[in-house]
Amino acid sequence: MLLRLDKRDTRPLHEQVAGAIRRAIAEGECRPGDRLPSARDLSAALDVNVNTVLRGLRSLREDGLLEFRRGRGVTVAEGADERSGLLNQVYALVTEAARLGYSRTDLIEMIRGMA
Amino acid sequence: MGTAGLIAALPWAAHGRLPDRLATHWGSGQDTPDGSMPLWAASLFPALIWLALTAIVFVAQRRAGDPARGTTRAWTAAALLSGGILLGGAQASVVRANLDHADWHQARQPTAWIVVTLAGAAVAAGVVGWLVNSRVAVSAAPATQEPSGPVLEIPRGQRLVWFSRITNPWLHLLAAVAGLVAVAALVTLVSGLATAGPLWALLAPFAFTSLAVAGCATVQARASERGLEVAFGPLGWPARRWPAEDIESARAENRTPAQVGGWGYRLRGLGTTVMLRSGECLVIRTRGKGREFAVSIDDAERGAALLNALNMTRPFLRTATVLHGAAHTIPKTTK
Repeated sequence: MLLRLDKRDTRPLHEQVAGAIRRAIAEGECRPGDRLPSARDLSAALDVNVNTVLRGLRSLREDGLLEFRRGRGVTVAEGADERSGLLNQVYALVTEAARLGYSRTDLIEMIRGMA
Repeated sequence: MGTAGLIAALPWAAHGRLPDRLATHWGSGQDTPDGSMPLWAASLFPALIWLALTAIVFVAQRRAGDPARGTTRAWTAAALLSGGILLGGAQASVVRANLDHADWHQARQPTAWIVVTLAGAAVAAGVVGWLVNSRVAVSAAPATQEPSGPVLEIPRGQRLVWFSRITNPWLHLLAAVAGLVAVAALVTLVSGLATAGPLWALLAPFAFTSLAVAGCATVQARASERGLEVAFGPLGWPARRWPAEDIESARAENRTPAQVGGWGYRLRGLGTTVMLRSGECLVIRTRGKGREFAVSIDDAERGAALLNALNMTRPFLRTATVLHGAAHTIPKTTK
């Protein structure tokens, strides 16, 4: 799998790491059930602190994209590929809204009002 | 044919000093035989096995056809020579064990002879495979020589890393079985159920095999700005590293176990191959000595492309590559 980090990105590093893996899952670089490289390997290759990588991985687990299994390491969750693509758009939407001065609650109100 | 004749003739040559029935089978670890054959069967049986082996090998070679001749020749030579030594050695051991005994029950297990035979067969297979392969490799080398491999485009300001991982379940199984034998031998040794001598002979090679095979059953590779790292075994240790500046070029190439002399960590004249399955391999050429290291891994094409790209963007080469690299990379990265 190929991971991309943007050096000019100003977001916190753990979000960047999570974003890179989310993108890799969305693009089919790793499929549901695949094993991710260990946090130590990711940290060495990306030149990012291990704890930062772990923080990024944990946030992806909370999003339902990754599963942590004892003895098997970190694997990509079932259905993560579709969910990941959608999540990418949500994150992009939130970022764009923040840039234009809308909060997340404003976005939620907008979505509610669409019905 | 000559070998078949030799194997068949061996018991007859010594039949004056042999019993009527020859002891031909010993239980493992037992000193007394548990199976016998009449003289004629003991001479014909191994010879027939040998003929069957040669027949199979030649049919396999015929079916492989002309294009694969070079690689099947290694298999043929290795199989025939090691098979011949194995059968000839076994026959010699049987004859020697039965020599000067009146009855086959008195024949003792020829342990030392069996060990020598097995070792001889393994070494012969390895040496022949290596000899034939290095010859094949030398004749094939000019064809695989490429000026440079694929190059991935790295958008400005991005850091790319490539990961790949491969496991061979068969090697895992082999490692597990060998490990089980070693553990069983260790337990027997510790509990003092049997004499220590043969158990050490069992424990040491099986423990070594288990560890060595387990190390080659799983391989992880990663390419980043720091270069290429290839980690062996389930724990990712030991590992080999090549800093990016030591890698002259990288490419993907199809290789088979027959070409490199088998599975696992293979050394030969042109370099090293870590072979877990036939097919796509990532090959790097190191700067200076020009030696090659290859590892059979999925997605090798992009791994090679990334390594080449990292090579081109290295600071002290930039002056040389920017001239033709800048022309097509800058327009694509500017919005």
